[in-house]
Amino acid sequence: MSMLDRVIDWLDVRIGVRELAKEWGSGYLLPRNINFWYSMGSILLFIFLLQVVTGILLLIHYVPDSEKAFASVAVIMNDVPYGWLIRMIHAVGSNMMVAIALLHMFSVLFMGSYKAPREINWLSGFLLLNLILALCLTGYLLPWSQLSFWATTVATNSAGAIPYVGPTLVEFLRGGKLVGPPTLGRFFALHVALLPALVVVLVGIHFFFLERIGISTPPFGHQGKKTPWRGDAFRYDAHPGGIPFIPNYLLQDLTSIAIYLAVFLSVVFFDPYLFFPKEAFVPANPYLTPAHIKPEWYFLPNYQMLKIFSNEFVGIAAQGIAMTLLALLPFLDRGKERHPLKRPLFLACSIGGILLWLGLMIWGHFS
Amino acid sequence: MDNEGRRRFLGICLGALATAGAAAAAWPVLRFLSPRAGAGSAAKVTIPEKELPEGEAKFFEFAGASAVLIRKRDGEVAAYSAVCTHLGCIVQWQKDRQEFLCPCHAGRFSSAGEVLGGPPPKPLVRLPFTVAGGNITVG
Ligand code: FES
Repeated sequence: MSMLDRVIDWLDVRIGVRELAKEWGSGYLLPRNINFWYSMGSILLFIFLLQVVTGILLLIHYVPDSEKAFASVAVIMNDVPYGWLIRMIHAVGSNMMVAIALLHMFSVLFMGSYKAPREINWLSGFLLLNLILALCLTGYLLPWSQLSFWATTVATNSAGAIPYVGPTLVEFLRGGKLVGPPTLGRFFALHVALLPALVVVLVGIHFFFLERIGISTPPFGHQGKKTPWRGDAFRYDAHPGGIPFIPNYLLQDLTSIAIYLAVFLSVVFFDPYLFFPKEAFVPANPYLTPAHIKPEWYFLPNYQMLKIFSNEFVGIAAQGIAMTLLALLPFLDRGKERHPLKRPLFLACSIGGILLWLGLMIWGHFS
Repeated sequence: MDNEGRRRFLGICLGALATAGAAAAAWPVLRFLSPRAGAGSAAKVTIPEKELPEGEAKFFEFAGASAVLIRKRDGEVAAYSAVCTHLGCIVQWQKDRQEFLCPCHAGRFSSAGEVLGGPPPKPLVRLPFTVAGGNITVG
């Protein structure tokens, strides 16, 4: 008997690993018509792991002190062997994470997988999206460049538009009247400790729900079965005769990750500064605001909205309403039909919403 | 080729590919983490001769570690690594006895770096130096 078999036997007697592997692996059946879009979640998990690993590595050389932060990032980029690689993977990876999270969300949206009984899955995913954005925002400040400094100034400032509590809230976010060393301290703590921990917890919750209720059947392609959800008792959505997760869908996941890596690494190696405007290479100067300071692409629509509405509060409220609608979508859209082409109103609204969002982004970019 | 052999061959290829990929990913990480040679200290250290009176010792940083220069009573200069050859503590210069004492386990070295007593197994490591124009240059 090989060593591996002996180890597995030993574990099997104690914690029943063979049964577990069957239950979670080859015995975990997915709908026959499951598609490529279902692997977005695995790509996201992979990106998150990559962010954690590169983040821990960066912590070794990064100094979270407003006097030294910019210089320490310069050392990472120029002097530390492969420092540029680690940092670029982290910085480009954050952009990719937002992009893939959006694709994941859109696929769930168009395939109607958020519908009952999967409302909690959707809500936990929505929270995760917000956490990712918060991670991006807090991470943005850390290199302490002109871009970081002023982008954070603008971003924290927009909270000031909330009536009554606004100004206090801004000061609380910044740890002072203006963005300064105290802001760096709290953003650093959020970025490396609190937010990643919350992401881990929420990812666990997201997976728990997914595993508990079962994967939703895509509304198109081979129609296996119809499982009407009756809402009177819990029912695990099993997929008898489906394809096993291990090895079949695992291979799809790995393929998707490989395709993602190809795209991601071509950005890292061939156009690493794609997401870096030139202000990112100038140390922060609280006395000099650069012209045309703009946030990252995923915050451009928000930024443009604030510019469109002359009243800041209206701009903030519009964003708040849009986000609330998104969060509550499964409670608003209660129809049983999940095929996108059979939901013309939904299709029109969501495509309209996405086009509006893209339009605001492009407008914001060129304005 | 029979099916079994083909599978084996593909399996080996896949394994080799995975190993190469893992190595390609691990190498930058290893380099990123490894301490940089000579980081933070110059390869040569110059000390003015007048900073080293007779019978005294001068400790300084050299190539990322501690080093010491001494001038013996007869005026001869010597340079050593100040790292004890036993377990790596930094030796002290005892001016009255003109010898080194390691505070950790009471190792003793003569002004020539030889072990006089205690646990150190080897003499102190000598460092090359030159004396020119009133300066002592180590390295
Ligand atoms: S380390 Fe110097 S005597 Fe032990």
